[in-house]
Amino acid sequence: MEENKNPPVPEQSSVQGKIKILIVEDEEIIRKLYVEELRDQGFFMLAATNGKEGLEIALREKPDLILLDILMPVMSGLEMMDKLRAEGGQYGKTVSIILLTNLSASEEKIMQGVAKNEPAYYLIKSDWNLSDVVEKIKERLARKE
Amino acid sequence: MAIIKMADKIKLKDSEALYKSLFDNTIDGLAYCQMIFDARANPVDWMYIRVNKNFEKLTGLKNAEGKKVRELIPGITISNPELFEIYGRVSLTGKSQRFETYVEPLSRWFLISVYSPQKGFFVAVFQNITDRKRIEKDLADAKIAARNVLEDLQVDKEELAHVRAKDEAMLASIGDGVISTDKNGIIQLFNKAAESMLGIKEKDVIGIKFNEVLFMENEKGERISDEDRPINKVLFGETTTTTTTTTTTTTGLSYHYVRKDKTKFPAAITVAPIFLNRTIIGSIEVFRDITKERSVDRAKSEFVSLASHQLKTPPTAIKLLMERILNGRVGQFTEKQTEYFNDIRSSNQRMIDLVNTLLSVSRIELGTFTIQPIVKDICTVLSNIVYELTPAIENKHLQLTDACSKEGSMVALDEPLFHMVINNLVMNAINYTPEGGTIRIESRQIDKGQTLGGKLLTENCFLIVIADTGYGIPKNEQSKIFTKFFRADNAREKQADGNGLGLYIVKSILDNCGGLIWFTSEENKGSTFYLAIPLTGMRAKVGTKQLISQKYGRK
Repeated sequence: MEENKNPPVPEQSSVQGKIKILIVEDEEIIRKLYVEELRDQGFFMLAATNGKEGLEIALREKPDLILLDILMPVMSGLEMMDKLRAEGGQYGKTVSIILLTNLSASEEKIMQGVAKNEPAYYLIKSDWNLSDVVEKIKERLARKE
Repeated sequence: MAIIKMADKIKLKDSEALYKSLFDNTIDGLAYCQMIFDARANPVDWMYIRVNKNFEKLTGLKNAEGKKVRELIPGITISNPELFEIYGRVSLTGKSQRFETYVEPLSRWFLISVYSPQKGFFVAVFQNITDRKRIEKDLADAKIAARNVLEDLQVDKEELAHVRAKDEAMLASIGDGVISTDKNGIIQLFNKAAESMLGIKEKDVIGIKFNEVLFMENEKGERISDEDRPINKVLFGETTTTTTTTTTTTTGLSYHYVRKDKTKFPAAITVAPIFLNRTIIGSIEVFRDITKERSVDRAKSEFVSLASHQLKTPPTAIKLLMERILNGRVGQFTEKQTEYFNDIRSSNQRMIDLVNTLLSVSRIELGTFTIQPIVKDICTVLSNIVYELTPAIENKHLQLTDACSKEGSMVALDEPLFHMVINNLVMNAINYTPEGGTIRIESRQIDKGQTLGGKLLTENCFLIVIADTGYGIPKNEQSKIFTKFFRADNAREKQADGNGLGLYIVKSILDNCGGLIWFTSEENKGSTFYLAIPLTGMRAKVGTKQLISQKYGRK
């Protein structure tokens, strides 16, 4: 199956009723697994391979939740989060972001970014199963409504 | 004519009387002698014809008149041959002489003036100058002694100058900056290295109070106040015992020296008081520019961070792949295939755990990990950890009891670190106790002065005891149990996996937060681990990283 790097003109039925999730992750296999698992769970999936792409898609498609990696080429997750909160208007300020990374949270840069931009969660990829992440996503979305 | 004669006669008589009285009363000794020669006209003896009153006094010779010198002073020929030579010559030539000589038989020094009134005769006028001679000798000796002392002093002076020059050369060559002050903080010494590091000349700081010419800032560029200056702390600190203030690369306190040109550099500083007879007479500071060390440390930290991040990416992908496969998302598999996939999953998890452990170890060793204590109820935290491990406990059919006394259980803890420690110790108990065994956890407050498990507690603590009925640790391996990578032989036998880092990390955490860990153990009977946290709480530690705990529950 072809990996969709750019947001598709939906081949599936209309997006209505499905919750949109954007995953921004440069590692191909990990990105694919999240897309496939979440799609199986009934979410509409968007994907980006770096922060710049992610920012474009987020501002255009306004997904309900963003899974964001930190270490990426071109633009990092922290920078994208910064820009989204600052330049994304009301949407950018309030959209739920889950940081999904293998970097330790105690890096000063990360701590500052987290304190400033308030992502919903900071999860270490290698410690979390797909199903746990799915649970956290559902939890977060439920809280928003 | 008769009158003239009479006058002459009187004159003669008068002068005779005058001379006689002179002769008799002069202070000097007088001897009128006749020289005696041998057949070859060599002077060999003389006879005392007339001696004055003082002759006896000065020479100690009695009744000399009419006697020859050789019988009067036996041994004179040997001791003073010059007398014979001189008297002989004078009495023959009529040429007078004045000389000094030591007459050994009489043990005296004489100053002698000898003349000849008539050929073959001589008159010796002499003084006893023994005292004078002694004084002269003493003076000469004193002079020599003084000269020796002077020479010694000169040598000492040169040596001192040499030592001093050596010290100065040493000080000038020391690579570290050295500054010393008197007890009021006035700078007395400022070496070359200090000059070049700070860009300030020695002559511009000597005699001036240190805080008026040397400035320090912290990392943020804020001026460090006088009370916080290391020299100040040593000179005026509250403690009367030796205070040495050290700043190193790993502490949070960051001291930077400000150069003359306003740039600054991080410094490692040690200041010690200088004592003379138990009072502080000054301070001495040694400091080093640690810019390079800092950047190396930072580079190491960043490398480790990055490396472990990179190392975890492929295993993360495998982890997620295995999850989907085993959840049946991409088809059904045979039993054998499923078994293998499970094996892949557990091996992969081990790799992730190992990378996390290595990351923690490197953070411990770099000193970069942080401890942030918050007051918590230890009993609650303990029971949460135990609850998380229930599956593992039940898996091995073990009995676990957990008794926690509430008194004193509110203690400042860094929960993630505490979690790591307890998790590790209980997991060890689970892993190294055979099926059906028991694990007993007991926690309570304990006062200082008590001895437990062979250790004397020096402060009030909250104690946690974890005792199992497992394989135990062989006596000859007990001393190494907390060392890096160490696994006891029996542990290795019973359980293949295990990296020997768990207890090393546990001990490092405890060492860094002011806690204690020790144990007693007997092979094939079981082990009892003791963990003590001071009631004052875990000690905070500034750092930039956290240690990574294993998610034992999630496999």
